[in-house]
This record gives sequence, C-alpha cells and structure tokens, in this order.
Amino acid sequence: MIEIIHLFKKLEDQMVLTDVNLKIALGEILVVLGGSGAGKSVLLQHLIGLMKPDRGSIMIDSKDITRLKERELLQMRKNIGFLFQEGALYDFMNVFENIAFPLQEHTTMNESGIRAKVKEALKIVGLEGADEKFPSELSGGMKKRAALARAIILDSKILFCDEPTSGLDPILSKDITDLIQNISRQLKCTTIITSHDMKNALRIADRVAIVFKGAILATGTQKDILSSQNAYVREFLN
Amino acid sequence: MMNILRSIGRYVIGIFLGLGNAIFFLLEILGNIVKGKIRVQEVLKQIFEQGVQSLVIVALTSFASGAVLAMQGHVMLERFGAKEYVAHLVALSLVRELSPVFTSFIFSGKAGAKIAAELGSMSVNNQIVATRTLGVDPVEFLVVPRFVACFLVLPLLVVFSELLGIMGGYCVSVFEAGIPGSFYVTQTLRVINYVDFFSGLIKTFFFAFLIGWICCYQGFFTQGGSLGVGKYTTKAVAYSYIFVVLSNVFLTKVILALWQ
Repeated sequence: MIEIIHLFKKLEDQMVLTDVNLKIALGEILVVLGGSGAGKSVLLQHLIGLMKPDRGSIMIDSKDITRLKERELLQMRKNIGFLFQEGALYDFMNVFENIAFPLQEHTTMNESGIRAKVKEALKIVGLEGADEKFPSELSGGMKKRAALARAIILDSKILFCDEPTSGLDPILSKDITDLIQNISRQLKCTTIITSHDMKNALRIADRVAIVFKGAILATGTQKDILSSQNAYVREFLN
Repeated sequence: MMNILRSIGRYVIGIFLGLGNAIFFLLEILGNIVKGKIRVQEVLKQIFEQGVQSLVIVALTSFASGAVLAMQGHVMLERFGAKEYVAHLVALSLVRELSPVFTSFIFSGKAGAKIAAELGSMSVNNQIVATRTLGVDPVEFLVVPRFVACFLVLPLLVVFSELLGIMGGYCVSVFEAGIPGSFYVTQTLRVINYVDFFSGLIKTFFFAFLIGWICCYQGFFTQGGSLGVGKYTTKAVAYSYIFVVLSNVFLTKVILALWQ
C-alpha cells in the first residue's frame, strides 16, 4: 500500500504541492488527472524519491521514503517500475540491451535466462522482433512500449507512469493505456498514472484523483468523478 | 543601488553554490573509484572512443608542431652557428611543455566535448534520472568510466604526441636542414632525461583530472533541452582550456622549484 500524508512542496516561491493526501490500495490503478503545471509530475517524482518534500511523508510498504538516503532509495527503486513520458531509453543501447539492463544490474540471471525474460517482456508489450533496433529507429509508441517493458522487467509490484499517452494519437493512446491496464492486472501491480487524458483515464482507472494547483480537488471512481459538482472538475470533464 | 548589490550578492552566492556542487560531484566520483566501483568494460569502451577520436588530430598537430619548431629553430640557431641543437630545442619544447598542453587542448575539444554532449543529452532526455529510477547510481554507471578513461587516455596521447612531434622535427631537420638522421636521433635521446619526461607527464595527469571533472560535471548537470546541450558543452570546453592554461603556470612553477 502507498500512502501520501500531508505533502507540501514549494519550488521557486510557488507552492506546487499543497497538503496532498492519498491512499492507494494494493493492486489498485489510480490515475492522477490534471492540466499542465498542476503538480502531477512533481507528485510522481516525490513518490519515487527523486524529490524531497518540504513537509509530509510518503509511506510505501510501511516505510517513509522521504527519510531514506540515496543509497536506500536506489535499493527501494529496484522494486518500482517507472515509465517516463518520453521513454528515457538509453540512446547508446538497443531495445534488447535497454530492457536487459535492470536484469543485468540486479539479478544473477545468466545470459540465456535474460534473453528469455526480455523476449517474454517484448511479447507482452507487442514489440517482438524490435530487439535489435536503437531508440532513434523507433516511433513514439514503440519507444513507450519498450520503456514499459524495461519498467516491468523486474516484476515490480509498483508501477508509476508519467503521462504515458502524451504525444500519441488517440488510437495509440488507447493501445498504451490498455497495455498498462493489462500489465497491471496481470502482474497485480499497484499503479499510479499521471495524465491529462480524461477519456482513457476514466476507462482504465479503479480510482481517479483530480489535481489542481498542487492540491487534490476530488478523488473517486469514474462514477464519483462524473457526478462531481466541483466547478474545475466539471470544466475538466467538458 | 540596493538592486545592484543584491544582484552581485546573488551572483557571488551562485558561484559558491556551483563550486560546492562541483566539489561534491567530484567527491562522489572519487568515492566510487576508491570503493572499486569501476565498470571495466565501460572504461575500455570509453578508452577506445576517447582515444580513437583524438588520435588523428593529435598526430597531425603534433607532427606539424614538431616540424614548425624545427624550421624556426633551424633559422634561429643557424644565426649562432648552433643548428645541431635543433634536436634539443624540438625534444625539450615538446616533452616539457607543448605536447602536454596542446594535446590537452585537443583532447578537451574532442573527447571532452563528446563527454559533455553525451551526458548533457542524456540529462535533458531524462536518461540520467531514469538510471536512478532503475536503482542504479548514474555517477557510477555513466560518469566514473568516462572520468577514469580520461585519466588513462590523455597521458598515452601525450606520449604519442611527443613521438610524432619529434618525428616531425626529424623530417624537417634531415630533409631540409641537412642534419644527419642518426645524429638527430642520438641528440634527442641524449637530451631528454627522466625529469623532462616526467615533469610533462605529471602535468598531463593533472590536466586529465581537470578535463574529466569539468566535462563530466557540465554534461551531468545540463539543463534546457538541445540549446542547453550546446551551451553546457561549450562551457565544458572553455572551462577546460582556461583551467589547463592556468594550472599549467602553477604546476610549471612548482615542478621547476622542486625538481630542477
């Protein structure tokens, strides 16, 4: 379980997170929705320990990660998959090497084991046959699939996705969100996705949190959000 | 008036913060090296890339520098009836000063710029942050191999440059000035003693340390997209030149005081 408790963060004289409180249950898919600059990515960066809050705490499996040192955070991150907006694949590695990298770093698997595991991950994300390609040879959607394969290769039980549909056309956006949903269900991952793609978010989320100016305006199921009377939520929905 | 003072204050604080950050970054690199966290395969890859990239240009400039030194030396020394000392002039100039400094300049412009641009591009494309999210220390994975490779490649390039420079001087002296080849070689070997050779080489290690540190730091902390990559890479090369030149004055003084 992940619990965010009274989280505050100020950046350059501007509050980017204001008293954020959220609980995400085991295996749940939570989509954090909000416009550009609402604080979604900053929230995600706090969850993976890339940023330290000014106040508040983040409990992951009963451990307050805001108090961990960099070495401990590196250990913790082995159990978390993180999908970046642009994929953030290594330019100097091909798809196979990119996906195999976490296995080579954190497991004692031999080469044939790694090859089999990467092949399986490529099959899950629908990228069979692309293992020799370099990121520069991939389309935006393929990059995200490859990055997703890298994020789940260690069978992490937590998956964070930062704007997975940004820059994709509506069909690819649907494909990617479906893929994330399938993988989360298959691996029983606790998944947090930041997005401004309302349509896909409502389709795959167990719960949605709406962020506005660094504060959580509303949380709830698709039904709760659709029936919300909050003016910003209504505006966002329309 | 207050605004000007405030701006100056901010600028000075900025310099100190930047310096502190750079020192902290260096300690992180050295900490990894001391703990033996050096990825040998990555270091070998970097040695190959940095070395090969600089090899041709170092060869050309060194050969040309040696040749020009011999030409000028021949003209000057002939006035005093001492043209047989051309070999001395070429060898000592190259080994003590020119090869270490010029090769460091070339290395900054080629390998140093490559390091800064590569790390910078990784930084703006979130690959450095991604390394952290994968549970891997980016300094250990991306910076230490480049830094260690600098330290190993530059001294080798300097020795290579010295040899090529002497060859350049040999060609001009033998084919243009009419000095016998065997005489030139004997004179060269006689004049270079271990103090000359190692005083240049010690400086080279120091320059390699500075170039590796500056270029890795500028690249690692690049911000501002593709424009930022250009800006920080230029800064990396410019700072490397400045620090190589300034430290050379200091190091030469120390070496001459201790070892002459």
